[in-house]
Amino acid sequence: MGKYILKRCGYIVVVFLIISFLMYSLYNLIPNDPARAQLEGLRSSLKPAEYEAMYQSLRDQMGLNDSLMVRYLRWMGLWTDTDGKTFNGLLQGNFGYSNLFKRDVIDVIVDPMSNTIFINIFSTILSLAITIPLGIYCAVHKKKKFDSATQVVTMLGYSLPVYIIALVFMFLFCVNWRIFPVMGIKTAGIEYANNWEAFTDKLLHVTLPVIVMTFGSLGGMTRYVRSAMIEALSMDYIRTARAKGLREKIVIYSHAWRNALLPVITSILGWFLSIFSGSVVIENTFSLSGMGALYWQGLNNNDFELVLAIQMFYSIVSLVGSLLIDISYGLVDPRVRVDK
Amino acid sequence: MTIAECLTYNNGKAMNAKDFVWPTVLACSKVLFDLEGATTTYTSVEGGQDYYDGKVPYVSGLRLIDDYTFSVTIAAEKLPYYYDLGYAAFTAFDIAYWLGEGYELKDDGEGCYIAGDFTAEAIKAQMEYARFNAGPDRVSAGPYNLVEFDKAALQATLTINPNYVGNFEGQKPSIEKIVIVKAEDATWADAIKTGSMNFYDTITDGAHINTALDIIEEGGFDYVQFDRPGYGMVNFACDFGPTQFVNVRQAIAKLLDRVEFANTFCLGWGGVVNGPYGTAMWQYKEAEEWLNENLDAYAYNPEEAVALLVEDGWIYNADGSDWTEGNIRHKKVTAEEAGTYAHNITLADGTILMPLIVEWSSSEANPVSDLLKVMLAESDATKAAGLQINQNVMTFTELLNFYYRDSSQGDKYAIPTYGMFNLATNFSSAVYDMSYEWTDDPDLVALGYNLNHLFDDVLDWLSMEMVYGVSPEEPETYLILWQKYMQRWNELMPQLPLYSNVYITMYPDWLEGYEQDSYWGFDKAILYATVAE
Repeated sequence: MGKYILKRCGYIVVVFLIISFLMYSLYNLIPNDPARAQLEGLRSSLKPAEYEAMYQSLRDQMGLNDSLMVRYLRWMGLWTDTDGKTFNGLLQGNFGYSNLFKRDVIDVIVDPMSNTIFINIFSTILSLAITIPLGIYCAVHKKKKFDSATQVVTMLGYSLPVYIIALVFMFLFCVNWRIFPVMGIKTAGIEYANNWEAFTDKLLHVTLPVIVMTFGSLGGMTRYVRSAMIEALSMDYIRTARAKGLREKIVIYSHAWRNALLPVITSILGWFLSIFSGSVVIENTFSLSGMGALYWQGLNNNDFELVLAIQMFYSIVSLVGSLLIDISYGLVDPRVRVDK
Repeated sequence: MTIAECLTYNNGKAMNAKDFVWPTVLACSKVLFDLEGATTTYTSVEGGQDYYDGKVPYVSGLRLIDDYTFSVTIAAEKLPYYYDLGYAAFTAFDIAYWLGEGYELKDDGEGCYIAGDFTAEAIKAQMEYARFNAGPDRVSAGPYNLVEFDKAALQATLTINPNYVGNFEGQKPSIEKIVIVKAEDATWADAIKTGSMNFYDTITDGAHINTALDIIEEGGFDYVQFDRPGYGMVNFACDFGPTQFVNVRQAIAKLLDRVEFANTFCLGWGGVVNGPYGTAMWQYKEAEEWLNENLDAYAYNPEEAVALLVEDGWIYNADGSDWTEGNIRHKKVTAEEAGTYAHNITLADGTILMPLIVEWSSSEANPVSDLLKVMLAESDATKAAGLQINQNVMTFTELLNFYYRDSSQGDKYAIPTYGMFNLATNFSSAVYDMSYEWTDDPDLVALGYNLNHLFDDVLDWLSMEMVYGVSPEEPETYLILWQKYMQRWNELMPQLPLYSNVYITMYPDWLEGYEQDSYWGFDKAILYATVAE
């Protein structure tokens, strides 16, 4: 197992390097001149010669006159910085500089990331807590009224665009019934007496986004669990288990569910890994400062170092996630061996 | 310059002349550039360039006279300048807060400098902290203190600075606390209705303004209305293709019903301008009558548009025969006029015909482009006039590269390709400086000046003379030159102004005395606002 993990870690490094080079090259293909963008506002107050001198100096400072490979290696931390002395790239922990926020990317990402994780953890746990039992129940009671009703409701959540769900829920819960606030993650101007008050206020603000996200994601997982369970329940070993006189609960949860888990676990782990990724629609609709909104902002403003840093983070999360999924197969199903 | 002796920071610490001068020394230094800061101050202060280049360790144009008095000498090459007062803008910052302990502004007789380890590496951490810090230890000198900035919620909380002695009129704020929140287009109205926020500064979109007015009508809110200091426009490339001919530009102007366009786009909250100005500008307010009398409004008139085209020689079909209805017009042009324009036709006898096809660079997901397509590019009047406008949708960055003809981003951008670009501009600063915008110096044009590539001596002279040939004590002379500039510009039509918006700010009706416009924003207006008894 250890050897297998080491080998996979080696692959991860190689794949990461390839992805990073491809992504960096792609973004550099986009015609964009950050030096010009930075100086544009000052152009009218500069005489032409002054503008040219500043422009060239800024291009040198940003390393824009170097070749693509040099810039990539510098960004990775494998080439000296523009000062020609130090190495200061991704490998040294420098995730880049956001031209939009005028701050190091790492400082820009921290708070939106914490918001995103906070919201997604609740949404993921809630979704799984609803969908797995629901999927199992529907599979066991296949084609009964409850199953049919669940199929309709989950299909509705699955089919409706999340921004429609968000606006409808907002109209009902915020404007009509005034249960939840419309936007933000904190009541404007509030002074908290203690941390518990701060936590509950935050919870109140994220409840509706969490409900919307959960509602939107019920359909997929419920149906996935249901079909996996239906398939497992139709196997011969289930008939054998029942013939042996085992209790129905043991048949369902110990025999059927364990076997149905293998295809489901890919989705479950995928969900847990997605707690790092934000939703552009949800965050923008509810005015939440999260990774989705930040990513969108970075793209719209050509802040490529910010976007690249976010994408590299997601690349690592995906690569590590796929390793975890492969390892988990072996843990869930003894027939699958991952040490070769 | 002498400062009042009663000034203090929010923490009660007294200010002196050094607090006003050291930020300018910093702005003149290479240190700021090394900290990713962009500034032009070193070019306007005497000795600033030498200090920036590291030739001398002081800024000779900045001198400390006594504790409350200092002087600034402006670089000779920057004068005369109509807006020279802008060179004398100084703001106080606490050096210990921004740079850390151990720094001091000094003047040993030759000029001012910052004593201490004044390098980017040494001050970077403190500068970063000072910039983004919000809380009781933030040292500032304005009417409000930034007591909290919640990065997760993107929410800033400001409370009155009790040590603020007032603005230039002695005015102090009375609204105790201001919380600035981030709102979204889709939900801001619900947020106001449910009390999540009660103030919306500068609503620009016509549909949003109408929504705001509906809410205001229900009660509890009021609003102030003001003009945008700028306009949206079509920019023409005036050195190649059909748009190099002034008659074509004027004809395009007459083929678009700009009044209708502005009304439709702004939903009634906007109007049309006929020159490069915004209706919020003082120059416009002073010269409104003159502008109305002397500028051509290019009212929608397809017949006159056709007459302009005919007068300019756009009277042929593609085979050289006389133009017939339903075809694109062509004009016989010289090889020089033909240039690199892609659609030119060379007949067997060597005659070059230029078709009346305008390639339009249009930014994606832009409602202006959508409306322009319907009302101009694909309108019956345009087709009937024998004009074809091809919309080429691209990203805004791509559009700018073609507009700037920026070869550093790729060789294709250096080749004139598009005759029309839809863009917008704002004159949000009081400084209206168009110098070098119409230069014919090829080096300057290559640097990105004269982006319309319109080479007109009169326009160039007026744009330079307006700011470099008039003393600030002669506003009447300035205004005469400004008007002449507008008139010449209006004749040549390097741009076609499309709309100039009207904005509103909505606020709770218990707020009294709130008056805002494009140059007197929320930060200034709120000082005069009070809570109704």
